[in-house]
Amino acid sequence: MLARPPEPAIAFDAIRVDLGGKTILTDITLDVKPGEFICVMGPSGCGKTTLLRVVAGLVQASAGKLSLFGKPVQGPSRKVSVVFQDYGRALLPWRDAAGNVALALEAAGMPRAEQRPLIETLLAKVGLKDHAHKFPGQLSGGMQQRLQIARCLAQDPEILLMDEPFGALDAMTRQQLQDEVLALAAERNTTVFFVTHDLEEALYLGDRVVALLPNPGRLARIVDVPLARPRNQLATREHPDFLAMRRDLFDMMHETH
Amino acid sequence: MRLAKAAALPLLLIVGAELWFRGPGAGSESLAAPSAAFAAIVEALGDGTLVTATRQTLTAALGGLAIGASAGLVLGFLIGLSKTAIALSTPSVELFRPIPSVALIPLAMLVFGFGYGFEMSIVAFATFWPCLILAQAAASQIEPRLMEVSRVIGLSSTQRLFKIVLPAAMPRIFVALRLAAGFALVVAVTVEIAANPQGLGYMLMIAQQSLRPELMLGSLIWIGLIGWGVNAGLNALQGRLFRHQQVAGGKP
Amino acid sequence: MTLRNPIVFIGSIAVVFAILFLWWLASVTGTVSRAFVPNPFDAWAALVRGFSRGDLLPQTIGTVGRMLQGWLLASLIGVVLGAAIGLSRTARDYLQPTLEFLRPLPASAIIPVAIALMGLSPGMALTVVAFGSLWPTLLGTIHGFAAVEPRLKEVARCLQMSGPAFAWKIGLPNAMPDILAGMRLSMTVALILAIICEMLASQAGLGTAILLAARAFQSSELFAGIALLGAIGLVSNLALRAVEIRALAWQNSH
Repeated sequence: MLARPPEPAIAFDAIRVDLGGKTILTDITLDVKPGEFICVMGPSGCGKTTLLRVVAGLVQASAGKLSLFGKPVQGPSRKVSVVFQDYGRALLPWRDAAGNVALALEAAGMPRAEQRPLIETLLAKVGLKDHAHKFPGQLSGGMQQRLQIARCLAQDPEILLMDEPFGALDAMTRQQLQDEVLALAAERNTTVFFVTHDLEEALYLGDRVVALLPNPGRLARIVDVPLARPRNQLATREHPDFLAMRRDLFDMMHETH
Repeated sequence: MRLAKAAALPLLLIVGAELWFRGPGAGSESLAAPSAAFAAIVEALGDGTLVTATRQTLTAALGGLAIGASAGLVLGFLIGLSKTAIALSTPSVELFRPIPSVALIPLAMLVFGFGYGFEMSIVAFATFWPCLILAQAAASQIEPRLMEVSRVIGLSSTQRLFKIVLPAAMPRIFVALRLAAGFALVVAVTVEIAANPQGLGYMLMIAQQSLRPELMLGSLIWIGLIGWGVNAGLNALQGRLFRHQQVAGGKP
Repeated sequence: MTLRNPIVFIGSIAVVFAILFLWWLASVTGTVSRAFVPNPFDAWAALVRGFSRGDLLPQTIGTVGRMLQGWLLASLIGVVLGAAIGLSRTARDYLQPTLEFLRPLPASAIIPVAIALMGLSPGMALTVVAFGSLWPTLLGTIHGFAAVEPRLKEVARCLQMSGPAFAWKIGLPNAMPDILAGMRLSMTVALILAIICEMLASQAGLGTAILLAARAFQSSELFAGIALLGAIGLVSNLALRAVEIRALAWQNSH
């Protein structure tokens, strides 16, 4: 038998999205390989968040075809999890950290007895072991975002969608979380679709960077990032290839603007 | 479209009731058709009874409100200016405030006999407490930065009261007054229904007792309209007066 | 300068006693007629006498029972109906304007209608208390369920939560502060309506008791009844506030 190439984790085929009579995204064609870390970046208004919401099944494409592992998207699925930027609104304020993680397990119908050890493991994995019984209101911004990531991991997703997850955090926390997410993704071999407006963040995290341009949102360029893994906040960011790609993409975004 | 949806249910109920009381429910002694209620209200407007009753209820509500609200607002405002005064008065307020206003009906009846004094005293008691509490909150929650500013520019304490404290507290005081006005009307009608032989509440009771369901329902709708009108009018007034100042909802 | 300070605390209790002292002074000096306002000690004696003779206890139970039954019924209907309306955009579009129009209507105004339909019966009293105290809980519940953070609705969709699971795990906890605040207001309305219905329908309870005491010029018994009604209001309010503090601990954790 012939070895078939594996189905792409996410396959965009000529996707167009119109919202309120306005074209937000047009002619998006792109394959994301299983286990790939793909970063989508672009200026505000380029439709990058909308693209993520299409993958999540929260927004329906007006034209074109979107498949996840070969199956057309019909709506949200527990196999796809979303880390929202506004962690403060995406957590249940009346449940403690453990309870927030439990929400995902309850949705999957896991018996309560099996939930507890898994919750402990997940909270430990994101560094919240000692905060299991604190409410979101008692946690710092970085910790709240860690908690949201733990809840998403509890879904045991095949695809992790992240919508500018670190945009509201301070620089130190952001770098810490970048490295933690890279480690988690590598460990589980999860496909990550990461949206950001920060060019450096996209290059630092991604296997590939997809640059979008606005009005209407469209593909501008897809760049391979052949930087060594595991990445390092100092060494990677000072690497000549990193700097060259940054300059290249920076110029591209500003010329075409 | 919004309006159509909003009107759908009331219209359905009115038409349904009309059909029922013209058909199988005709001759009911306890309820009547909407058209009959409307006719009864028009008739009562014509012969002056409704106008008199409305005037009596509004006079009692307004008089009681004037007494209760002014006492509550002044006292609450004074207490609110000092943290010690708030602490000293809290147990007394919490102890006497839960007395249901209607529990004073027999006492007020004994003291004043039937009439305005009776009704106003109950309304005054009922409106006193929310005004006291809200005025206290208004005075104690003035932006501290404003007080610092007044100190820096060297205002005297009288100037501070009239130029900073009162204007800053005004929007919340108005909210207190608006809520109290709603209470005043409710309490006035309640006292009339329970005991006082005057006003709209009494008209409602008499209509029921003399087996005139159409007049009873008509007056009920009339009371609803007055309540709604007072409420909407005060809301609009608040919007006009304090356009530039944000007031958080109804209750602070 | 708060009540935690022992001097301020003692002072605040002294204020309560000062008010009682003024009441006593007014009654013994004859500033107000004894026919209206009794000596506080006489009112206390009337309270003790009422309980030891066995009149006041059944009357208190009558009033509290009427209030609680109506309130529980109103709370149950208010929460279930409010959840259904709050969760459905369509239901809100059709019903909310009507409900908002009815909100300022005095709850007591339905008493004549209830009497016309049911007579001066215990069922009439229960209906009036339940119907009148329904509104704060109903409107609070609708608001609480309707005001779920849109982001949380998306989280629920991403987790493929069922409608009932969403209502139970996200809608209800989100509405809890509004529901409890509404139920506290409902309790106050329920007590007021219970008293009024007793007065009008002469049913055994404190409302009837104070009315009869006033007609007989027994000011001590009248004040004992008023104080007891105040105590019912105070205790029910404190109990519900305690429930609120426990159930909404997460709100104060910031």
